[in-house]
Amino acid sequence: MAEQRIVVTIDENGKINASTEGIKGEMCLDELQKLLGDLADLDSITKTDEFYQTNELKSKTKIEIKKK
Amino acid sequence: MSAVIKTTTPFINKELLLQALKNIGCNFTLQGNEILTDRKDYYGLQKFSLNNGRYVFLHDSSAESGSQYMNVTKDYPWGNIKNQEYKSVSEFLKSVEKDYNSLYQKKLEELERLRLEEEKIRLEQERLAFVEKQKATIIERAKEQGYSIKEENVKGKIKLVLVRNTY
Repeated sequence: MAEQRIVVTIDENGKINASTEGIKGEMCLDELQKLLGDLADLDSITKTDEFYQTNELKSKTKIEIKKK
Repeated sequence: MSAVIKTTTPFINKELLLQALKNIGCNFTLQGNEILTDRKDYYGLQKFSLNNGRYVFLHDSSAESGSQYMNVTKDYPWGNIKNQEYKSVSEFLKSVEKDYNSLYQKKLEELERLRLEEEKIRLEQERLAFVEKQKATIIERAKEQGYSIKEENVKGKIKLVLVRNTY
């Protein structure tokens, strides 16, 4: 059993910061897209080393979104 | 130059006019659309009467000379009922006008302050509603994706921890 974790932070102006843990490769972006896709304009994506380790159990990706 | 005329500020707002009269120490009573002052002349109490959307001051035209006239005609019933210092009609109207304009300006400033305050509250409510809507949408979507959700408030920010187990 593997745990997938997404931490979403919404600041007082509606700006969103989200990071994933335990979701492999591109899947983490798909998951974030499903959750946050149309809620705000994307500001930046930071792919961590874990993002490229698609065979690893853990991957970590951070996404930062501007308020729409 | 043929002629130059000046008029006083039209007294349009009854509330402000009454307050101006109070402020300059002129007592009055209300009678329908008329404001009876405590100033009197040959024809009785001088009064403001609503005419075409403004309060017009009605008085004996000779009253304009006011206290000066009073001195030469001692039996003429000029004056204030309470024996206050009598002002000529133009002096009286200038006093009322000055106070009326000052009150009007304060009223505008107060309305502007209230408008800005209301606008500020509206903007703040709009922002809070937006953030709440974002949060609700994320929670709803997370539930649909099978995540359990834990919500925290960290330094004024909303923190959502979404956890899902896969096999």
